[in-house]
Parts: sequence; structure tokens; C-alpha cells
Amino acid sequence: MNWTDEELVTRSRGGDLDSFNQLILRWERPIYALAYRVIGREEDARDVCQETFLRAYRALPGFKGQAKFSSWLYRIALNLCRDWIRRQRRAPTVQLAEGIDPTELASERGPAESIEDLVARRELSGVVEEAMGLLPEEQRTAIILKEYHGMTFQEIADLQGCPLSTVKTRLYQGLSVLRRHLEKNGRVPQLVKRV
Amino acid sequence: MSETFHCGDNTALVAYLYDEGEPGERAAIDAHIALCAACAAEVAALQSARLQLTAWAPPDADLGFAVVRPEEKGPRAQGSSEALVSPGPRGLRSGAWFRQPMPAWAQAAAACLIFGVGLSLGILRGTTPAAPAEQAAATAATSPASATSVTANDLAALEQRLRAEVAELRATPALVSAAVPQPGNNAQIMAQVRALIEESELRQQRELALRTTQMFRDFDSQRRVDLAQIQRSFGQIEGLAGAEVREQREMLNYLMRVSEQR
Repeated sequence: MNWTDEELVTRSRGGDLDSFNQLILRWERPIYALAYRVIGREEDARDVCQETFLRAYRALPGFKGQAKFSSWLYRIALNLCRDWIRRQRRAPTVQLAEGIDPTELASERGPAESIEDLVARRELSGVVEEAMGLLPEEQRTAIILKEYHGMTFQEIADLQGCPLSTVKTRLYQGLSVLRRHLEKNGRVPQLVKRV
Repeated sequence: MSETFHCGDNTALVAYLYDEGEPGERAAIDAHIALCAACAAEVAALQSARLQLTAWAPPDADLGFAVVRPEEKGPRAQGSSEALVSPGPRGLRSGAWFRQPMPAWAQAAAACLIFGVGLSLGILRGTTPAAPAEQAAATAATSPASATSVTANDLAALEQRLRAEVAELRATPALVSAAVPQPGNNAQIMAQVRALIEESELRQQRELALRTTQMFRDFDSQRRVDLAQIQRSFGQIEGLAGAEVREQREMLNYLMRVSEQR
């Protein structure tokens, strides 16, 4: 049966471990993706993801459903990412893009994708990652939550603990920096249809 | 939210970009960017940056976390020794149990066990050969009468028997030198060596072919990437040159017009 998050949380609070494991299964990928994009390191993102669920599990009895379970989870993950960034302040928070290895790429190529497309996609991904690494943490997080997790301005404002207008400003400034960096790297913005 | 839009209000543009503004404000921005090229360009550029962001995907990771009960059997639970106490930090482990770090007490216990087994084996090996000697000594000690009853005839008989056995052994050299390779054996060994060498050569050839293919593939991919980059660069240069030519042509036309007027 396909339970909602709230139902699974209720069952988990009643001691049903399988329900909590279902929640983990449902949310571990988004949480890992969030952690990876915020801190930029695969292994550390895994650790943050694991720690997020661990804390959630421990704090489950105190979770009264005042917010969505996913928002609560995101908040825990973001706090952990923030702690990680504080600890690593001296080190770069985002790994620079590695060199492209065509033999390694060949294995991840889709059936309809040529090696050139794949190389181009990886290159672009590297440039975007690099550009995101240039942004201040708040702007980067706002963009990540908006672009990759589809949150509303209000949800981001709640998570970041700032006014709604600040979220918009962070998004605007972040996107502007990204645009400039992409242009500098030869990623000339394509003309797109107006929204 | 206001239903008017002031040129340069970037936060309103962001709301428009993500379609989170109010309908009235959206209509106002629509009307504005239809007239204002700067704001239209800004929105297009932001939208383009957003499109580029879709290319960034996190790497695939082997997750599969799960909370395990302390009493649960199975590889996951075994790998997390602290899960036996509570489904705490170690209970939320993923991956194979044998890859999990072993706690210090378990490592110490393993070291003690290995040491104990080694010690026992050493003791056993040390006592086993000594046993027959001890038995012989005991036998000798318990039968002094038989030792004293050996006569000269017995000794002579023993000597003769030994000589006969030695002569017999000398007469059958093939049996003694069984370990020495014979001509037939030599050929067999040579054949085996040749087969091994051939097999090794084949393996090396295969490996060489594989490496060569990989190298060609790498080279080809790199060449294509380089060509694409060169093409892009040429395109940019052509664009720049074209723009300059256009500017100069306009300048000439302007000069011509001015000179004609005079």
C-alpha cells in the first residue's frame, strides 16, 4: 500500500521500523542530492544523508507534524550541511570538475547519446558545478532548493529563516553570477522563449 | 502585491521567472517586457542560466540506508555491532557487513584468538616429535636386561643384513634417482614450458590489443572534442569579424553620406 509521509510517520512513531525505512527509501535520494549540491563532496554527502535520517529517527517522538515531514528532513539536512561547511571553511566546499575520461564516460552513455553529446553534457555539468561553488552558501542553497527540489519561495524562506524578499534577492544574485560565469566559460546563453 | 512593475525591479523579475508572482503583476511584467528590451534580455538571460543548471546532476551513490533492529540477524545487523545495543548510529549503515569498520574490542579479541591458535599450534608441533624419543627412552629404561643380552653373533647378523640392503639399493638406481628428470620427462617439461610461454604471449597480445583500442578511442574522443572547440572558436571569431566589417561599412556609408551632403 502506498502510504503518505504523514501516515508513515505516525506508524514509525508507533514503533514500526519498516515504515521509517520506507520514508528513508522515499527521501534518501533527494536528501543526498541536496547534500551533494550544497557541500560538493560525494562521500561527505553520503555521511550527511545518513546522519540526517539518524537524527530524524531519534527526534521522531518529538515531531508533532507541525511541518511537512520532507520540510523537517530538509531542515535537518541543511543544518548538517551548514555545520559541515563551518568545519571545512578553510577547504574548498566544492570540488573542481575532474578531467573528462572518455573511457569512463562510455559506460554511462545512453543508447541514443553520442560520445560528443555525453562529453559536452559532462563539461557543462562541471562548469555549472564550478560556478555554483563560487556562490555564497545562502545563494547556492536557495538556488538548489528552488531549481532541484521545486520549493516555493515561502518554503525556502522558512527553511533559510529569512524574509521572502531575501529569497528572491538571493535567487536573482545567484543566477546573475552563474550567468556571468557561464558566459565567461564560453557557455553563451541561448535565446529562449519567454516564460 | 502591486499590479504595476517598475523597470529594474529584479525581485519581481525573479517571481515572474519562476511563475510565483500574482496574476496582475505577471500581466504588468508581460506588458513591460514587450516594450523594454533591457528587461526582456534580463529575463531571457536568467532563463538561459536556469536551463544550464539542469545539466548538473549529482553522481550515483550506493545509498540504501535502513534502520535495523538490534535483534535482527543478517549481514546488515552483523556489520553493525552497536546495533545490538540500539538501532543507533551503526544501525543506519548501508553496504556489505564485511566493509564496515570493526570496533576496537573486536579487533583485540581477534588478535588474541589468532595469537592463542598460533601458540597452541607451536606447542603441539614442539611436543609431537619428542614423543617417540621419550617412548624409546622409556622402553630402554624399562628393559635393561634385553640390552645386556645382545651377543657378537647378533651384531654380525645385523651388519650383514645392513650390507645386503645397501647393495640392493645400489643395484636399483632407477628407484633411488626417481626424482632426477629423465630424457622423456625433459621433453614433457619443455612442452609444458612452451605451452605456458605461448599462453602468456597470447595474454599479452590480447592486453596490448585492448590497450591499443582504448588508446585509439581516447584519442578519437579527444580529437572530436578539440575539433568542436576549434569550430566554436572559429564561429566566435567569424562573428566578431563580421560585426567589425559591418561597423566599418556603416562608418563608410556615413562618411559617404556626409561628404555627399557637403
